[in-house]
Amino acid sequence: MSRRHSVNRPPTPDVRDDDEDDRPKEPTLLEIVNIKLIESGEKERLMELVRERLVECGWKDEMRALCRAFIKKNGRENVTVDDLVRAITPKGRASIPDSVKAELLQKIRTFLVSVAH
Amino acid sequence: MSMLKEDDLSSDSELLSKLFVDILDSIIVDVASESHRIARLGLDCNLDNEEEELRLSAEARARASDPSNSGEANGKYVVDIFGQTHPPIANEIFECMNCGRAIMAGRFAPHLEKCMGKGRKARLKSTRSTTSARNRYSRGSPLSTPSPCSNSRGRLLNGSSGIAGDEYRNSTLEEP
Repeated sequence: MSRRHSVNRPPTPDVRDDDEDDRPKEPTLLEIVNIKLIESGEKERLMELVRERLVECGWKDEMRALCRAFIKKNGRENVTVDDLVRAITPKGRASIPDSVKAELLQKIRTFLVSVAH
Repeated sequence: MSMLKEDDLSSDSELLSKLFVDILDSIIVDVASESHRIARLGLDCNLDNEEEELRLSAEARARASDPSNSGEANGKYVVDIFGQTHPPIANEIFECMNCGRAIMAGRFAPHLEKCMGKGRKARLKSTRSTTSARNRYSRGSPLSTPSPCSNSRGRLLNGSSGIAGDEYRNSTLEEP
């Protein structure tokens, strides 16, 4: 019974004892900043803030309606999370209100400044 | 971290947009996951029956506004949702605590008006019989009535002077 898993995740990478590629694993700047963002709790705060803003402006309701339409079209049992994500991401990214976008960018910029010094 | 200061501009804005997109994508995945859960658990029940429900609610509305049904005017009485009818005027009969008569509940308020002397006609009627008693006991009240025979002075001077005159005349014990 090969049934589609409703949540598809890539398999866990195996633990490598020695570095066969001879490539020193240096964390990129993005990774460093990301880790700092998460560890300080700022990422969670930002996400909560953005979630709240997006609920206020009705964005979340629009996305939920899109999901419902997609599910109705393709059948409740056949839909996976990845399908839904793929279906709503382009519209979702495009319909973020400018004020919310600006607020989030401002807060990330502030964080980057505080990390750099 | 000096490397941040070197190529500040380009990598900074690149960093900024990457972090921004990362946060947005996480939120989108959250919404998709929530919708997925609700759909698979069947919590959003009106997915398939939306048209069905629309039709049912339209039918119910038509039934409710149907005049031939026991709605607003079925003969004399209104039928409520439990199927009970209530007469327009409450018809339970009980005893008035003031005069002791048997009164209908729906007519109790007008009866009390007459019975307890709030109404105009009732007031005149009662003061004609008990003049001095009314004057003595209603001295500060705005409803204190002008009594016709014994105290013609008190008619305009409802305040202290009229009453004071009364005191001197009626009760010699109360001299200040």
